[in-house]
Amino acid sequence: MAEMRDRYDAMVIGGGIAGMQAALDLGEQGFEVLLVERTPSIGGVMVGLNKVFPTLDCSSCICTPRMAESAHHPRIRLQTYTEVRQVEPVGTGFRAELECKPRYLNEDTCIGCDECELACPVEVPHEFDYGLGARRAIYIPHGNAIPQKAVLDVEHCIFCGKCEKVCPTTCIDFAAEPRTVHVDVGAVIVATGLDILPMGRKVEYGGGRLPNVMNPLAMERIQSSNGPYGRVLRPADGKIPKSIAYIQCAGSRDRSIGVPYCSRVCCMYALKQALLLTHYIHGVEVTLYYMDIRAFGKGYEQFYRRAVREGVRVVKGKVARVTEADNFDLILRVELLDEGGRVDEHRYDLVVLSQGLIPGWHPEGVIDLDVADDGFFETPEIKLNPSFTTMSGVFVGGVAAGPKDIPDAIVEAGEAAMAAANYLTRTRWRTRTHAA
Amino acid sequence: MQHYRVDPTLGNEIAAFGGQTLGRCFSCGNCTAVCGLSKGDTVFPRKIIRYLQVGLSDRLLESPEPWLCYYCGTCSSTCPRNAEPGELMMATRRWLVSRYDWTGLSRRLYLSEAWELGLLAMMALVVLALFVVPGWLGLPFGFKAIDASAAAHVRLDLFAPTRIVHSGDWTLAGLLVLLLGINAVRMVAFVRKGMGQLKVPLSVWAGKAYEIAVHGATQKRWLQCDNDTLVRWLLHFLLVTGYVTMLLLVVVFLPWFQREHADFHFTAIFGYYGTVTILGITLLAMRGRLRKREQYYRFSHVSDWMFLVLLFLTALSGILLHIFRLLDMPWPTYVLYVAHLMIAVPMLIVEVPFGKWNHLVFRPVAQYLVAVREAAQARQPVPVPATRRAHAVAR
Repeated sequence: MAEMRDRYDAMVIGGGIAGMQAALDLGEQGFEVLLVERTPSIGGVMVGLNKVFPTLDCSSCICTPRMAESAHHPRIRLQTYTEVRQVEPVGTGFRAELECKPRYLNEDTCIGCDECELACPVEVPHEFDYGLGARRAIYIPHGNAIPQKAVLDVEHCIFCGKCEKVCPTTCIDFAAEPRTVHVDVGAVIVATGLDILPMGRKVEYGGGRLPNVMNPLAMERIQSSNGPYGRVLRPADGKIPKSIAYIQCAGSRDRSIGVPYCSRVCCMYALKQALLLTHYIHGVEVTLYYMDIRAFGKGYEQFYRRAVREGVRVVKGKVARVTEADNFDLILRVELLDEGGRVDEHRYDLVVLSQGLIPGWHPEGVIDLDVADDGFFETPEIKLNPSFTTMSGVFVGGVAAGPKDIPDAIVEAGEAAMAAANYLTRTRWRTRTHAA
Repeated sequence: MQHYRVDPTLGNEIAAFGGQTLGRCFSCGNCTAVCGLSKGDTVFPRKIIRYLQVGLSDRLLESPEPWLCYYCGTCSSTCPRNAEPGELMMATRRWLVSRYDWTGLSRRLYLSEAWELGLLAMMALVVLALFVVPGWLGLPFGFKAIDASAAAHVRLDLFAPTRIVHSGDWTLAGLLVLLLGINAVRMVAFVRKGMGQLKVPLSVWAGKAYEIAVHGATQKRWLQCDNDTLVRWLLHFLLVTGYVTMLLLVVVFLPWFQREHADFHFTAIFGYYGTVTILGITLLAMRGRLRKREQYYRFSHVSDWMFLVLLFLTALSGILLHIFRLLDMPWPTYVLYVAHLMIAVPMLIVEVPFGKWNHLVFRPVAQYLVAVREAAQARQPVPVPATRRAHAVAR
C-alpha cells in the first residue's frame, strides 16, 4: 500500500465495490488515489453477501480479490476508519479535511493475530451479522476484512487491559486520539453506497419488533457459510424454518413510507435467496409475494423462471399486514389478485422483508453537492454523462447515484473513474511527473 | 355469463363526486388486505376501485360493499400510491345515492352547490310562507295570529297550534319515509340483480330481516375497524340517540314538548340531552374537518359540511327558542320558532332522501343484503371447480 501523502490525483469516498472499482481504474491509469472508507474495513455491502445473482457466484470469493488488489496497489492509499469532514474547491482541485478515527492500537505494528479478540471478555452484537452473532469489544471486523487489523470499540470496552497483556507486538494504545488530516486532490469520486430502509418504517409489517420478521441482509448472513449460525435457523427460537415468505416492495414503491421509487435489486435478491433456501433446507416452502417482478438485467428473467421452476412459489399481491401468532410464527394478510381478489391469511415460520435501498450518506455540511428528492446524488446529465454531479470535478458512481445492482454499480464506477481521469488531464493536475 | 357495458365516463363522474385520485391506484391490493372488514365474499376497496377504473357502473350498482366501509382511513394511510381508497369509497357512496334516487335530484344536489343551496333556500322560503300566507287568507296561524295577548306573552297555541304543527310533522315524516323507502327498494333490486342465478328463497329474505334492525340500531360492524374505532363509534351512537330523541319529541310527543310561555315540562330534559349531544358532537366533527389531522377528516365535500352545519344550527336555534320561551319573550320566540323550522325542514327534505342522511337506511340494508347473499350461497350445492370438471370429462 502506498504511503500517506498530502497531495493526490483523486480521492474516492467509499470503499465498497464501486469505490474500489473507481480507485483501481484510476490507479491502473497511473493516477495517485486516496480511497477513504468510514468503517474499519473496505468491501462495503458486497463482502457480507452470500451469493450474487444471476450467476450464484460466491460473493466474498469475487469481492475479496478486489479488496486485496485495492489494498496492495502501489498507487492507491487506503484510509479506513476515516470520515470525510470537509471538501472545498480550490482552483480546479479540492482541499479535503479527513478525520482518522482511532483504532486504539498501532496500525503499523498490529499483525492481525486475533489474540486480543480471544482475550476480550466483552461480547457485543455484531454489526456485520446485523446483530445476529456476537463480537468482542476489540475485534477484527470479519474474516475477510481488509486491513486485517483489530479495532477497539471504546463504547463497550471495560478497560480491563487483558488485550494489552496478550498482544504480542504491544500495539494497544488506550490513549489514542482522532487525527485530522488535510489533503489536496485533483478530483473527487463519491461512491458512498446504500443503507437499507429501517426495518420498522412500515409499521404494519412488524419489522424491528417481531424477531422472525427479517432484514434481507441478515438473511444473506444467515445463508453464508461464514454466517452467525452456520446454517439457516430463524432468530426467535433457533427453529429450522419450513415455510418462509418474502414480502416484495416492503420498502420501495410505497409513498406511505416516503420511498416512491423502485429499488431495482429486491426482486432479484429475494428470488436468489428464495432459490437458495430451497437448496439449503429440505422440504422448505418459500413463497414470494410481489406486485410486479422486475427482472430486467442480463440473464435475470431466466433466473426468475429458474427459481419458479425449482419450486419458489410466486404470488401476486401486496402484503398488507404481518401479525405474530403463538410460538413466534407469523400470519400474513394479503389479497390474492390472481384468485379473484380473495383475502388470504397464511401462516409462516419466517418472513423476510425485501427492504429497499436508501442513500448511505448525505453530503450536507461536507461537500456542496445537490441531492435529488429521493436523497440520492443529483446527476444533471444522467443520459450522456451519468457520473457528473452538480459540481465540476466531483463524480459519482454506484448506488450513491441511485439504486442499482453490482454489475451496474461497477460499470458506473468505471465511468466515474474515466470521467475523473479526463478531468484531471484537462485541468493538467499533476501530483508527480508521470512516466509518459 | 352476464354481459356488462363499459361506461367510459365513470372515472370523470366519480371525480365530480369527490373521488379525484382514481388514476393513482395500481391495484396492488394493500387496501383490501389491510381492511379489517374485508373478508369472505365481501372484499373492498380494491374491487370497487377497479370497477371505477374500468367503468363498470352496473357492477358498482350491484355492489353493497361501499356501504360496509366506515372510513377508518387505514387503507388510505397505508396506500403505497396515496390513492386515497377510503375517499374513493366515500365518493362511490355519494354516486350510489345519486343512482338509487329515481328523481335525479340527488345527483344535482351532489354535483352543484347552487342546486344544494338553492333547494335549501327554497324550502326555507316555503316554511316562511307557511307562517305568512295562511294569515293573509284569514286562517288563525302564523304571524297574523299574534294578537294583544300573544304579543304580551308567548302564546304558541295562537302562533303555531300544536295540532296543526303535529299533523305537519307527520306529513313530512311520511313523505320522507316514502322517498327513502323507494330508494331502499331500488337498492335492494340492484343488488339482487348482482346475485345473478343465485336462488334466494323467501324464507332467507324474511329470516335475515332482523339484520336491518340490529345494524340500524347499533352499527356494530363498525367496531371491527382498525382506527380509534371505539371513540368514533361511541360519538356516532350518542349523536344518533340525541337525534332520535329529538325526532321522537317532535314527531310523537309534540303535544307534551311544545309548551306555552314559562311553562316547564319534564320532556324538556330529554330535549337538553338531544341538544347537548348534537351540539357537542357536530362541533367535534367540524373541528376535525378543519384540522384535517385524521385520515377520515382530510377531505370534505360540500355535502359533508352542509350536514354538520345544518344539524348544528337546528339544535342551536332549538335551544335558543326554548330559552326565549322560558323567559317569556314572545317576539324572539316566534322568530326563532320560524327560523328553527326554516333550518330543520329544508335539512330533512334535502338530506334525508337525497343526501348524506340516507346512510341510516342504506348501511343496515347493505348488511342485510350481504347476510341474505351468504345465507343463500350456503344453501347452494358446492360447485365443482371448472378445471376439475374438465379433468373428469377428459378421463
